[in-house]
Amino acid sequence: MTLNLSVLTPNRIVWDSEVKEIILSTNSGKISVLPNHAPIATAVDIGILRIRLNDQWLTIALIGGFARIGNNEITILINDTEKGSDIDPQEAQQALEIAEANLRKAEGKRQKIEAKLALRRARTRVEAINAIS
Amino acid sequence: MAMAALRREGRRLAPLISPRTITAVRSSPLYPTLEDEGPLGVRHISTQVVRNRMKSVKNIQKITKAMKMVAASKLRAIQTKTENSRGLWQPFTALLGDLPSADVKKNVVVTISSDKGLCGGINSTSVKISKGLHKLNSGPEKETKYVILGEKAKAQLVRDSKKDIELIITELQKNPLNYTQVSVLADEILKNVEYDALRIVFNKFQSVVSFVPTVSTVLSTEIVEREAESGGKLVDLDSYEVEGGETKGEILQNLAEFQFSCTMFNAVLENACSEQGARMSAMDSSSRNAGDMLDRLTLTYNRTRQASITTELIEIISGASALEG
Repeated sequence: MTLNLSVLTPNRIVWDSEVKEIILSTNSGKISVLPNHAPIATAVDIGILRIRLNDQWLTIALIGGFARIGNNEITILINDTEKGSDIDPQEAQQALEIAEANLRKAEGKRQKIEAKLALRRARTRVEAINAIS
Repeated sequence: MAMAALRREGRRLAPLISPRTITAVRSSPLYPTLEDEGPLGVRHISTQVVRNRMKSVKNIQKITKAMKMVAASKLRAIQTKTENSRGLWQPFTALLGDLPSADVKKNVVVTISSDKGLCGGINSTSVKISKGLHKLNSGPEKETKYVILGEKAKAQLVRDSKKDIELIITELQKNPLNYTQVSVLADEILKNVEYDALRIVFNKFQSVVSFVPTVSTVLSTEIVEREAESGGKLVDLDSYEVEGGETKGEILQNLAEFQFSCTMFNAVLENACSEQGARMSAMDSSSRNAGDMLDRLTLTYNRTRQASITTELIEIISGASALEG
């Protein structure tokens, strides 16, 4: 029994095929979805999505969205994604450092929130690379 | 043979010669420059005038042909984006349902149109449908407001429904369309407008020659809950356990906003595609018309030219024969 996973963004379809298992990070923590999962609709946090096909794990960095799981069909709608293999490690590391620096400099509530979001994004991208290797 | 042709020409011009005095009086004040009166009193439009018309029609044909090519290339660029964005709103419809018949108190009609003209009838159809929706949904308790995207719909709707317009947004296509821009727009609309149901009116791009006006409905969370409880197509929603976040209502709210921005993105892209496609076909028919007009003008030009040559020949020959005696 396999799950049909579709990951969609406004610009393109990122993933559309069968998988064995996925690990999704939601607002209330990471959940692992196996076949015959109970139907849920959940919000997806900024984090990584790990997909297992045939004992091989793939990582995709997700930047916020929604997921619907039911009847062995998973539909994930995301604002923006990046496949782990597409991210350049050095560039991601640099982006992380810049984001951290910005957070320290940020003043005022709005800037702080934006800096925090940027930091989480950068961290997610770095995690995505590290998780593969 | 030539003499016979000349005699025929002479017989053709004869009826014009007899009412000579009347034509002389009538022609001069009205058409001093257009008509050239030879000594035989023959009236004909000068070849210069016809040549000028031909030149301008030829220019128009060139311009419309170029506009068609430009529209075709823009269409190709946008078409791939549109097809990719189509997959996004289908899960929403599967989960939350698309209920155009939902009966709500506060309707907001979002009309999407183009900024530039010369694109056929697509903007008029969108405006017609928006007005129809407005009429359908106005009653004692219900009200409908407009949110307008694009100059053309603004021009048409400002004339008679000014008080019902909430928000007008123009110059959408200055920068190439992307999701972030549209989601900011959707955010603006959601913040400023109270709504129970949002109806997005746009032209869906079926093919290069067919654009179907469509309405996508996005319902607010309260209405969704109401419909889900009353049964019908939305019963499925309750069978999903909603996680992530404090309350179910908050998630559904975020979901509805996300749905709105995705549907808007798709609608704006489809409308842009339809605009380019309609412009292509409008410019194509216009260049074809210009070609037909050019053919007809060429015939007129040749006839005029031959008539003037014939007149000259007749003058020469009659002058020569008069000299001979």
